[in-house]
Amino acid sequence: MQTIIQEYNLNAPLPVQFFEYLWNLFHGNLGLDTIYKAPESAIIAQYLPVTLELVLTGTVLAIVLGIFTGTIAASRRGSAVDQTIKGIYLVTWASPAFIVAFLLQLIIAYDLGLLPAGGLVDPSLTTPSAVTGFPLIDALLASNFSYFWSVLQHMVLPVLALAITTFGITTRIMRSSMIEALDKDYARLAYMKGFSKTQVVYRTAFRNAIGPIITLSALFFGTATAGAVIVEDVFQYHGMGFFTVQAIFSLDNVAILALTVIIGISVIIANLVADILYGVADPRVRLE
Amino acid sequence: MNRHWLLRSAIRSLRGKTDGSSPVPPTPAPTRRSSGFSHFNRILFKDRAALGGFIVILAFLAWSIFEGTLQIIDSITRRTDYAISVLGGNPLALDFSHSLLSPSTNSFGLLFGTDYYGHSILLSILYAAPRDAGAGVLVVAMGMTIGMLLGTCAAYFGGWTETVFMRLTDAFLAVPALVLAIAVSIMVGTGFTSVLIALIIVWWPTYARFFRGQALSLKNRGFVSAARLCGTGSLSIMFRHIVPNSLDPIIAYAALDFGNVILSYSALAFLGIGVQPPIPEWGEMTSEGLGYIPATWWWSFFPSLVILAIVISFTLLGDRLQDVISGRSIS
Repeated sequence: MQTIIQEYNLNAPLPVQFFEYLWNLFHGNLGLDTIYKAPESAIIAQYLPVTLELVLTGTVLAIVLGIFTGTIAASRRGSAVDQTIKGIYLVTWASPAFIVAFLLQLIIAYDLGLLPAGGLVDPSLTTPSAVTGFPLIDALLASNFSYFWSVLQHMVLPVLALAITTFGITTRIMRSSMIEALDKDYARLAYMKGFSKTQVVYRTAFRNAIGPIITLSALFFGTATAGAVIVEDVFQYHGMGFFTVQAIFSLDNVAILALTVIIGISVIIANLVADILYGVADPRVRLE
Repeated sequence: MNRHWLLRSAIRSLRGKTDGSSPVPPTPAPTRRSSGFSHFNRILFKDRAALGGFIVILAFLAWSIFEGTLQIIDSITRRTDYAISVLGGNPLALDFSHSLLSPSTNSFGLLFGTDYYGHSILLSILYAAPRDAGAGVLVVAMGMTIGMLLGTCAAYFGGWTETVFMRLTDAFLAVPALVLAIAVSIMVGTGFTSVLIALIIVWWPTYARFFRGQALSLKNRGFVSAARLCGTGSLSIMFRHIVPNSLDPIIAYAALDFGNVILSYSALAFLGIGVQPPIPEWGEMTSEGLGYIPATWWWSFFPSLVILAIVISFTLLGDRLQDVISGRSIS
C-alpha cells in the first residue's frame, strides 16, 4: 500500500499532482497503466496505428459515399431519387453504431459466411515484424501477402459499419453546397455555353461545392474515431477502441485519460491537415 | 413541437413587453406568422414523415412523464410501487421459470418476449423510457443554458472574455463527444447522474458556438443600439433583446439534438457506463442480448428498434423544423 502511494505520489496536494501530470504529459509520459504495469505510451503506440488504419479508411469511404450521394441528390433536387437518398441517410445517421455493426456481423459474417466475424487477423498466421505498426503496411513491407489479405478481410465489416453510420452528414452538406453552387452565375454560364447537365454538375459545380467537405473532414474523422470505440468492441478488433472498453471495465482511469488525450491530439492534427488540404484545393485561401 | 410553439409565443409576449415600455420604435416583427395554429399546421401537416415523428415523440414523452413521475414518487416514499404496478408486471424481479420466452400475443408482458433473467422485454423498455427522456431533456436544456450564458457573453463583451470562453469551448470540442463522455463519466463515478454530468459537459460547447454566432450578428443591429441608447443595462440587453432573437434556429437544432443525446446515452449504456443492472436500460439490454443472437433475437432487437424509432423521429422533426425556420419550404 505504502509503495503504491509512493509510486504514484498520492500524498501530494491535488494541484501539485495535476501539474505533475501535465509536466509528464508534455514530456510524452502518459503515466503507468494500472493493469498492465507498462507505460501508457507503449501500449497506445501498439494500438493507435491499428485504429488509425480503420478510422482513416472508414472516413475516406464515408466521404466518398457522401459526396457521391450528395451530388446525385442535389442534381435531381426534389425528385424521387433525392427523397430516397434523404430517407436513407436520415435512417443510417440515426442508427446507433452498435446496431449497424451487429447487423453486418450477423448477416454477412454469420448467416452468409462471406467474411470473418471478428478479430484483427487470422490468428494462425505469423505476424510480420512491426516496422510502422500499421498491420497492412507492415505486411506489405514484409511481402507477406496472405497476412495482408487476412487483415484486409477482417477490416471490411468494421470499415463498412463506420462508413454507414457517418456518411449521412457528408451527404447533407454536399447536397446543400452543391445546390448553392448550381444556383451560381458560373453554373448558369456553363449551361449557356452548351454544356450538358452532367458536365456542369461534375466539372463546374463540383470543384466549387467540395470546399466545405474538406474543411469538415476533420470533424468526420472525430465522429468516426468515436464510432470506432463501439465498432471495435462489437468486432473484437484489437485497436484503441477495444482497449478503451477494456479500460472501462477494469476501471483503469490512467488508461482512459491517456486515450482521451491521444484521441484529442489526433483530432487536432486532423484539423490541421484539413486546413492544409483546403489550401491545396482552393487557391483563394492559400497562405502568403 | 408544441414546446417550440409555446416558446415562440413566450418570446413574442416578451418582445411586446420590452418594446412597449421603451420609447424606441418596436423591433421589426418577423412577418411570416399569422396565428398559432396555422403556424403549427404549416410546420407539421405538410410533411407526413415529420408528423409521424411528432406522434412517436409525443407518445414517448407522455409515457415518460407519467411513468417518470410514478418512479419519483416511489423513490421518495420508498413504500409504494406505483411505477411497477401500473405496468402489470415487475421488470426488475428475477424469474428463471420465464427465462428466454419467445414473443407471443398471450399476454401484454410477453409481446416482446423475455430475457435470460425472466424480465419482460416490453416492460423493461417501458420502465427505462423515463430515464432516456429525462437524459434528453436535461442534457439539452442544461447544455443550452450554459452555452447561452457563455456564448452570448463572449460575443457581447468581446476582448479577453471572448478569447477565454471560446478557447475553452474549442478545447472541449477537440475531443470526440463520445470519447470525452466516457472519460468524464468514468472519473465522476458510475450511475445515472454521472452520465448526465458527462453528457452535459460534452454538450454545451456546440450551443456556446451557436449562441455566439447569433449574438455576433445581432449585437450591431438597430434594436440593440436603440436599447443601449435608452440606458438599458448589459444584462438586460443580452437576455431580453439578443437571446430571444437568437433562439429560432437554435431551437430547431435542439429538436434534432434530443435524438443525439439519446443515441449517445444508449451508446454509453451499451459500453456498460451509466445505470447499472437490474435497472433496465435500452443500450444495456441491446448489448447483453447480443450474446444470445440469433436464437434469442428479440432480446436485442426490440430495444434497438425503440432507440432507432425515437432517434429517427427526432431527426425527422428537427430536419423539418430547420427547413421551415431557414425559410426553405414555406408554402
